[in-house]
Amino acid sequence: MNLLIRAEFRRLLATRMWGGLLLAAAALGGGMFGAMALAGPENFDPPMPGLDTEAGLRAILGILGYTAFVPAAAGALAVTSEHRHHTAAVTFLFAPRRGRVLAAKLATYAVVGLAYGLVLAGTAAVALFAVAAARGVALGLPATTVLALLGRIAVAMVVYLLLGAGVGALVHHQIAALCVVTGYLYVGEPVLMMIPGVNTLYPILPGGATAALTDFTYVADAISAELGSGAVHLLPPAAGALLLTAYAVAASAIAVLLPLRRDVT
Amino acid sequence: MTGDHLAIEVSRLTKRFGDVTAVRDLSFTVRPGVITGFLGPNGAGKTTTMRMMTGLVSPTGGTATIGGRTYGQLARPSRTVGAVFDANAFHSGHTARDHLRVYAAMGGYPDSRVTDLLDMLGLAEAAHRRTRGFSTGMRQRLNLATALLGDPRVLLLDEPGNGLDPEGVSWLRGFLRQFADEGRTVLISSHALGEIQQLVDDVVVIRRGELVAAGPCSQLAGPPAVLVTSPDAAALAAVLTAGPANGGPAPHVEAAGPDRLRVRGLDAPGLADLAAAHHVRVHELVVETTSLEELFLHLTRDKAVS
Repeated sequence: MNLLIRAEFRRLLATRMWGGLLLAAAALGGGMFGAMALAGPENFDPPMPGLDTEAGLRAILGILGYTAFVPAAAGALAVTSEHRHHTAAVTFLFAPRRGRVLAAKLATYAVVGLAYGLVLAGTAAVALFAVAAARGVALGLPATTVLALLGRIAVAMVVYLLLGAGVGALVHHQIAALCVVTGYLYVGEPVLMMIPGVNTLYPILPGGATAALTDFTYVADAISAELGSGAVHLLPPAAGALLLTAYAVAASAIAVLLPLRRDVT
Repeated sequence: MTGDHLAIEVSRLTKRFGDVTAVRDLSFTVRPGVITGFLGPNGAGKTTTMRMMTGLVSPTGGTATIGGRTYGQLARPSRTVGAVFDANAFHSGHTARDHLRVYAAMGGYPDSRVTDLLDMLGLAEAAHRRTRGFSTGMRQRLNLATALLGDPRVLLLDEPGNGLDPEGVSWLRGFLRQFADEGRTVLISSHALGEIQQLVDDVVVIRRGELVAAGPCSQLAGPPAVLVTSPDAAALAAVLTAGPANGGPAPHVEAAGPDRLRVRGLDAPGLADLAAAHHVRVHELVVETTSLEELFLHLTRDKAVS
């Protein structure tokens, strides 16, 4: 098993994707999030509460949580890469126990997802505190709470990377897997939220569970207000975290069990 | 497994993909110490059979074992079997060295083995280049390097000659001969018969997923024929069909043109001596070895008729 994990690390670190992913984390955390903080949510269109309010702070943290499609796409890309490059057969020749190969991949990706999440959260924290100090804004939440929320976002990134990997293991085709992952996160969930009746499911979908982590209801509230449907009640943060973990476990189980009997042709 | 002589045993192997039967009740043995050609037209089921030998495709029925074990039962399969299926099985962004290091880690082999193989296969200079820029020949050699990481006792190559230049084919021939001479087992599939004509000792011929013939080339081809050109062809034929003086079996003679006979059952020196003893003029003697292509066409035609 250790050999397989070492092999997967070598496989991943030898590509450019790895560096690109961490760059993306820094760009989103330090760059995009920093710019949002610098502009101030009160200057958004439509305006949102400012950084000096809890709602405003939670809102921009929630938007940061929406970038989870990036690690999800990376997970889908990484797990489908063996099929795209026809290396799956070679890999299974070296390691006929396919479940262990996939388990090693997931272990590797979890570490990568954590690295991604830490870079994202770390650069976001630095940007946020620097902007607050520069603009002389007192943040609407204590620093420890902000850091805890960022920590939850970091963990959510791990979960999304594994979710993406699970979808990739299910779909196999790289482009199709990417479309499914980003399409669902960007289009699928918001559309579901607009369907009366179905929108009550939102809190238990991955997006709703992620929003629960930071108690971010801005998008859900905006859609509810637009449609005149009832307000969406997110799960408590702990339940959201548990649910996300369950999604990751389910995705991982699919990724590990599915290829066991498939013919590699 | 070093030093082991491992045979590949295919027994009543069957594979159905939906309604299509790709391999049907196939049984044959691949001997260690020789090079075996796995022949058949495109779509005959060669690749599917080789993938079943290595556990990539699970059989609908029957078994394929290597040294008595199925692929899944091998403790460290890459030490026992090396296989090349896809001409293009690497991440395009990996260098040759990156690619080999991934599988070296997977099999538990040291990086020095990677370096050795890059040297041995003439890839040392390309070691740090990304594989997307590799020529077909370089890709083939990198595939072979991957298969050889564990210094396996058995080598399976699926259509290795595809896209190889004559120099590459000649190199591969020498390499495989040495590999087999060490008592190892080599099975190479091909639909291009001329390509492996000079290379294989045994052949397994399949067609539409069924066995047509298996065995040493020399046995399948039968004894070589001698083509003799003589202005006295009729007289020579009479002498030959009369049989030897000691009463042994007469050679088989057939006309192969106005002044030519094709003779089986008597070698060229014997034929020349016989002609001289009977004062029959001989202008030309040619020993005809059956080409693999002829043998193959002959075997598959027979099968089609029966």
